[in-house]
Amino acid sequence: MKKIDFHIHTLVTVRDSAFVFDIETLKRYVREASLDAIAITNHDIFDSNQFEQIMNALDIVVFPGIEVSLDCGHVLIISDMDNLPSFKDKANQISRKITRREDCITIDDFKIIFSDLSKYLVIPHYGKNPAISDEDLKKIKSSVSAGEVDSAKKFIRTLKDEAKLTPVLFSDARISDRLVNLPIRQTFIDCGELSLSAVKECLRDRTKVALTQEDGNKLFPIFDNGQKLSTGLNVLIGDRSSGKTFTLDKINETNEGVKYIKQFSLVQQDNDACERDFNSRLQKNKSQFTEDYLSGLKTVLNNVINIDLEANDRLVAKHVESLLKSAVEAHRKDEFSKVVLFDAQEFNITESNALSDLIESVRHIIENIEFGEIIEKYVDKESLKRLACELMELLWKRQFESKKKSYVNNLIRDIKKSLKMRTSAAQVEEVDLYRMVIDQRKVRRFEKIVKFLQTEKTIADENIQEYTIIAQKGPFAGAGELKTVSGARTAFKDVFQLYERPYDYLRALVAKEELTPSELYKLFVKISYRILNKDGFEVSGGERSEFRLLQEIKDAQNYNILLIDEPESSFDNMFLKSDVNQLIKEISQSMPVVVVTHNSTVGASIGADYVVYASKENDGGKVVYRLYAGHPSDKKLVSLDGKTISNYEKMLNSLEAGHDTYASRGVGYEAIKN
Amino acid sequence: MKLLKIEETLGYYLNKESGYTEIDKITKEDLMRLADLTLENEVIFDEYSDESIKNHAHQIVYKSVFSNLKNLENRRQEFKDEVSRLFLSEYERYKEKPSK
Repeated sequence: MKKIDFHIHTLVTVRDSAFVFDIETLKRYVREASLDAIAITNHDIFDSNQFEQIMNALDIVVFPGIEVSLDCGHVLIISDMDNLPSFKDKANQISRKITRREDCITIDDFKIIFSDLSKYLVIPHYGKNPAISDEDLKKIKSSVSAGEVDSAKKFIRTLKDEAKLTPVLFSDARISDRLVNLPIRQTFIDCGELSLSAVKECLRDRTKVALTQEDGNKLFPIFDNGQKLSTGLNVLIGDRSSGKTFTLDKINETNEGVKYIKQFSLVQQDNDACERDFNSRLQKNKSQFTEDYLSGLKTVLNNVINIDLEANDRLVAKHVESLLKSAVEAHRKDEFSKVVLFDAQEFNITESNALSDLIESVRHIIENIEFGEIIEKYVDKESLKRLACELMELLWKRQFESKKKSYVNNLIRDIKKSLKMRTSAAQVEEVDLYRMVIDQRKVRRFEKIVKFLQTEKTIADENIQEYTIIAQKGPFAGAGELKTVSGARTAFKDVFQLYERPYDYLRALVAKEELTPSELYKLFVKISYRILNKDGFEVSGGERSEFRLLQEIKDAQNYNILLIDEPESSFDNMFLKSDVNQLIKEISQSMPVVVVTHNSTVGASIGADYVVYASKENDGGKVVYRLYAGHPSDKKLVSLDGKTISNYEKMLNSLEAGHDTYASRGVGYEAIKN
Repeated sequence: MKLLKIEETLGYYLNKESGYTEIDKITKEDLMRLADLTLENEVIFDEYSDESIKNHAHQIVYKSVFSNLKNLENRRQEFKDEVSRLFLSEYERYKEKPSK
């Protein structure tokens, strides 16, 4: 197996924070991480002089490369040494196009510049930001060898999915003179020689990549000293003050995307304060659901907010008044007011939204690849194309007509204005009755929608183990609730009186300058959440803590690694065994989890994949903290420096207070039982 | 339903009691009601001509209301399409949610 890191930064560009490149640090990294090959991939630049300096300083394979900023994500291009002059020229073209932080190039430009991508090793950001879009990936997929991810969790997940690219995990490190912890993200490849073509060939086979040399993808490096952990469930045990929490803290500091549930963090002290805090956290956690649920109302509101029925009413009134006045003053007609255009109505300009939507729908059918076969069974794509063309021609014709009408309308308006200045006859004010009626219909529909929303109903429920979160909608009960939801420092007493009449209520809200118009949709319907226990009752204080732990563990899915420090310090054994263990085990199927425990219910019953024993030892008068690790079935746990301890003994000591206690406890239980 | 009619050289509109009122008495409420009726229903109007109405005031008002309503009549299908699609997905979404 060869260990590679093909994403290393050695130059400060507009996309980097300031750092000073240090060749000695790079040498140390290559040596201590035992790397076999690296690639230098700076943002949108390739510096051949520096590259030569690096190559001369290292005795491993160094590939020239560049990280290109596309508008759809970043992509690594790594070249062969034989192709260096041509690569350099292409990299320079990139550098000329990208000079500012906001610059980037399109995938099409990228393809033009690198013309024959098959000459390079192409690795886009895949499970890592900014990741390449699916659409653009399709355009270069035949030349792509692997996709870069940024955590062991994503590496394993991507590797398991046959439909995905082969994952690679690289450091993306800035080799700075101040680098304290060396990078721990590298990839092992099962590759003989380290030529670019061999690496490419190797990466195309997903069975040839791994996180560790001996243990494949079961383990991954967690510290730069070579300490490994399981990509599944790790149990960390040890005496008091043996460095367990210190180890978790260190993992937290040196890794990205860590979810850390600290000891006692979920235990409640003051009941009322905790309940308030709990409820506000719940609302906050669920804010995305609320937002999604109300997104439709938001769309409607964005449209209705600009409708002013009173102003419309005034326009109609003005029209009728001016019409009647002009009728009464018919005798005043002169040469100017007799001009036909004096009272002419403007042309209606209709928007072709329905037609545009239709064209878009036809295009979807034509361009759909996934269901292409089924579509072609029923519809001939050529006919669809002709349909799309005809509809588009009609749309252009209508748009052209609209432009002409708009031009003529401007002309009519000018002429009417000039005539009006020269006559004493009354001119009829224009009114768009069609728009007025549509506006009324919009308001009616809006009011109906709001009324639907204000009807009390459960809109969702989610089960977390034995608890159920219920989301409910209904009307606000008073002005106070509006104030809380809006977060604005203004009184809602007056507007709340209009709450039953949604449109009037909206107008009153719009008139309040303290409120942001785009946030008004939150003030029409109350979305509230409740947690029920397995018996269907509101949760108690202790249950709230349990629920929070379950939710925190569940939330860990959004992270790369989960750390839990002594869950038993806050919860009873039955809960730990029935709920926590099951959830932890489940989540460890998809990400690395480390649980620190003294509790046999957690430590011994959970079914760990890897056991780590933390130990504070005296090495010739010097205090040393050591980690011994191994699989649960191993007789011995081994430290990085080769020391061993008995797994059985340490497990019993840590989880059962020693062999004697464990044995006598059994006897005790037996006595009670009999 | 006849919304506008001409009788004995005078113009009339359909009032809310389903009778007819002289066209120069029309109010903004009447006009909006007639617009509503035109967009929602099959309606008819007596065609305007300078000869059929002799009263100048009636001529001016009838001609304007007639052309306005005629215009709306021509847009009835467009109106129906537009109204049926008004916030449709939102309406369906919030209405159809089955209770739990």
